[in-house]
Amino acid sequence: MFKKILVANRGEIAVRIIKGCREAGIRTVAIYSEVDRASLHVQIADEAVCIGPPPAVDSYLKMDRIIQVARETGAEAIHPGYGFLAENSEFSRRCEAAKVIFIGPNSDALELVGDKVRSRQAMEKAEIPIIPGMKSIGKDYAEFEAAARNIGYPVMVKASAGGGGKGMRIVSSEAGLKPALEAGMREAKSAFGDDSLYLEKYIEEPRHVEFQVLADNYGNVVHLFERECSIQRRHQKIVEESPSLALNQELRQRMGETARKVMKVSNYNNAGTVEFLIDKNKHFYFLEVNARLQVEHPVTELVTGVDLVHQQLRIAAGEKLTFNQEDLKQRGHAIECRIYAEDPTNNFLPSPGKILFFQEPKGPGVRHDCGIYSGWEVPIYYDPILAKLIVWAEDRELACLRMSAALDDYVVLGISTSVGFLKDVIRNPEFRAGKATTAFIGKHFEGWGEGKKDEAKIKLALVAAAFDELGKETWENFKDKNVAGLGARDTSSPWKVLGRWRIGGTE
Amino acid sequence: MDFEFLIDGEVRKISLQKKDGGFEVLLDGRKFEADIQVISQNLLSLLIEGHSHLAYIGRERNKKYVLIGGHQFVVQEPKRVEKESAAAFSKGEERGPQGNLLITAPMPGKVIKINVSEAEEIRKNQTLAIVEAMKMENEIKSSIEGFVKRIFVAAGELVDSSKPLLEISPKAVNSKK
Repeated sequence: MFKKILVANRGEIAVRIIKGCREAGIRTVAIYSEVDRASLHVQIADEAVCIGPPPAVDSYLKMDRIIQVARETGAEAIHPGYGFLAENSEFSRRCEAAKVIFIGPNSDALELVGDKVRSRQAMEKAEIPIIPGMKSIGKDYAEFEAAARNIGYPVMVKASAGGGGKGMRIVSSEAGLKPALEAGMREAKSAFGDDSLYLEKYIEEPRHVEFQVLADNYGNVVHLFERECSIQRRHQKIVEESPSLALNQELRQRMGETARKVMKVSNYNNAGTVEFLIDKNKHFYFLEVNARLQVEHPVTELVTGVDLVHQQLRIAAGEKLTFNQEDLKQRGHAIECRIYAEDPTNNFLPSPGKILFFQEPKGPGVRHDCGIYSGWEVPIYYDPILAKLIVWAEDRELACLRMSAALDDYVVLGISTSVGFLKDVIRNPEFRAGKATTAFIGKHFEGWGEGKKDEAKIKLALVAAAFDELGKETWENFKDKNVAGLGARDTSSPWKVLGRWRIGGTE
Repeated sequence: MDFEFLIDGEVRKISLQKKDGGFEVLLDGRKFEADIQVISQNLLSLLIEGHSHLAYIGRERNKKYVLIGGHQFVVQEPKRVEKESAAAFSKGEERGPQGNLLITAPMPGKVIKINVSEAEEIRKNQTLAIVEAMKMENEIKSSIEGFVKRIFVAAGELVDSSKPLLEISPKAVNSKK
């Protein structure tokens, strides 16, 4: 097993990986951009190295600089997390050349599955069902226009290097094709450094179901069942769960076996996910392979009891899988909500800024993978994901209730987040019935607002605000009574707390 | 003490008086007692008529965020709000010189593209600029018909949420002159 690895990421996923390494007795090197000096991943790593200015292209995407840091710090391997360089075969190749292990698939497999167009060709050849559409990258507008007519509108613009919804656009008629291609190219260029696009038939109201797969370096491939990710906005998943109500045991087994076959065809190793769309007639189509640890991996961890980060580390270190397909069982139900820094009442505009106060929910069956803390300033440069709230319960209904309660206990003050919106999603009857398709958010949550606030809660907020306005004077009068209570709850010195309170109170 | 707050779009009055180690609250003509315990600098425990509530408080220069029972409120002093946004048309817009409209960035970010040029005539809902933050592109649209008077920023520039991007002179105003 490795003694030291470099984590080439930031935010909640870097924190998740660093914690996993610490459990396994592996020391960690964090990298950070100039704006991330105070970020959580830097705080919890054993070592940390600044790798450049804030824009990702000057820091988290600087391949040679990152590999150089790995060599200088004596890190034997690099874990790329998700996003940034996670699915960049060039990076994986340069790691191989520098004799630093890339914790992910080999560069050939990465190149194949990362090229959406080439992998579509390979899967079609292996008789795996694919979505009808272009089988090569569009070269000019005329080709796109002709292909779109041939496929038939609506079509989906997709980035060949794609993932996470970046560069994707639905086009319902020819008038919308050119602007969609332009925007798709810009977004793909900025997200992946590659602006090649292709078109697919847009499957209306599908369900998005994906299979988690683990493959060791010796040809052993297992799937860890499905995650349903139909709750999406702008092609970004926001709620994920396992098991999926769209599958019965027979379909689950068929899709699971197909997922294993996809990985074998690709000569894939390490952790990966095979994404499928299921149409109204329960036909499934191969969508793509996500060749990385996914954002929603905790859902699988909770229902299978397998720690995917530990598995990734073991596989990368050359160990064999210690279980086979028959050993794996799904148990209970897990749901994940992604917490984004965005304003759901204002067209989901990003909401960077200072977090005045943050408190995470706790309790039985509640997991929180988190990259933020009170007082931290969310930078403008990166993905708006702040954290993930994941719950497990013995059945879906209890998991929904648990998620709903945990969201009520989620406290982020100072910036807008998706928490209020997520509560309404979880409480929606169609979601509760397990019938939601990828059209769900657009159908039920267009122009979403928080609704009129509860008058009783407004009154309480007024009492709290008035008390707070009294500020320093109030505190002075109450301090004898309260200092003891504070000491019991807060391990820091009551005088230190008092000092900060005074500053807050006199503002 | 008497307070006036802007909360959930309304100006509300509340009075808080110390009484027997707690507070007497006067709100909407009704009096009740509140036992308020400071738990930490961001957390208050309220006991009101036997019911227990937690209030989380975050403070900014000119506003407080209060979260009660999963509902977040922004609480502001009404006078400050009037001064700051009396001229505002809506979020991301301000009244500029001679009745012109100043389009400001709706959030901190980076200008990706300016889609119009100075003196250009623009339609309502026309995209004026694209600002990117957190890897998402956001189109800045015009809420009125008019002419581009001035452009203050260039593609590639980083902008704060208060930064004016463009100045628009409305068509109606122009035609009256």
